[in-house]
Amino acid sequence: MKKMFYQTLAAVLATTTFASAVKAHEMLPTYPRLKPAYVDDVMQVQMRMFNKRQDVEWYEIGVFDEDMNPVPFVTGYRILKVKYLSHVTFDVYVRKSDAKRTAYICSQSKLRRDKREGTVIASRICSKFREPRL
Amino acid sequence: MHKLAITALAVFTTSAMAAEEAVITGNVESKCVINTDVNGVYGNPTAGTLSTLPADGGVMPIIRYDVALGDSYTARLTAPNSFSTSPTLTDVVNWTAEVEVSEVSDTAMADYETDKVEYEYTTEFDMHTAGTTWFKVTSKAEYGYGKTYPAGQYRAIVLAECIAN
Repeated sequence: MKKMFYQTLAAVLATTTFASAVKAHEMLPTYPRLKPAYVDDVMQVQMRMFNKRQDVEWYEIGVFDEDMNPVPFVTGYRILKVKYLSHVTFDVYVRKSDAKRTAYICSQSKLRRDKREGTVIASRICSKFREPRL
Repeated sequence: MHKLAITALAVFTTSAMAAEEAVITGNVESKCVINTDVNGVYGNPTAGTLSTLPADGGVMPIIRYDVALGDSYTARLTAPNSFSTSPTLTDVVNWTAEVEVSEVSDTAMADYETDKVEYEYTTEFDMHTAGTTWFKVTSKAEYGYGKTYPAGQYRAIVLAECIAN
């Protein structure tokens, strides 16, 4: 009985410790595909993001070519609010003329200026448009 | 009358129970997750040095990459080369940095450390195997030539990137 109590306690502690330590950022799909939008000469892609970083609430979206030069794009908000442990789905629109040079779509965590000292970690995930992009 | 009431209750209860059935859906797809396991702390071993090395009283930042598909991602870590927050500094800060593989979940990842590509403050790793990799970052900032850091808050940013191939 005593052994079982300690085993349960260890499991609970391990779970809570692990859960509180998880601070992650993810964006999907890894290989998105552009599709025609409802506006002429505009392509769109839908992305999903999940925020498991308790210290981050805002993520900046960017679209880039192969050399990481910015490509013009439109989205509802360039900086998205993603609450802790929540999913956000967002659409990104690019001009059809820019679609062929569009290579990456990235999300980067925006860090708040606060009282913490030392180093903080900014995370950035980039999905890639593979051929055929359209 | 009672039988009718019981039958009606049974019907409603059954339908209510049926409505409570929940379906959990999910799908597994290629992804990279960046986990910030430990935010670092600068130790202050001498008046003009800030360092994340444990020997200097610091804590090294640890970043975990979970990769669900091999050969799909490049991990790129950039160590700090400036403070994002600091008191006014009147002299130059000399930065040195090192990004190393701390732990791996698969023996096939043994060459991550030897095959890493370093340029300036950035280090790239080819994540050729699915699994988990932990990276640790050493950052050292020396102020001027034997100068003393002014008192205040010092903060620097490590950039952890996961870029699809």
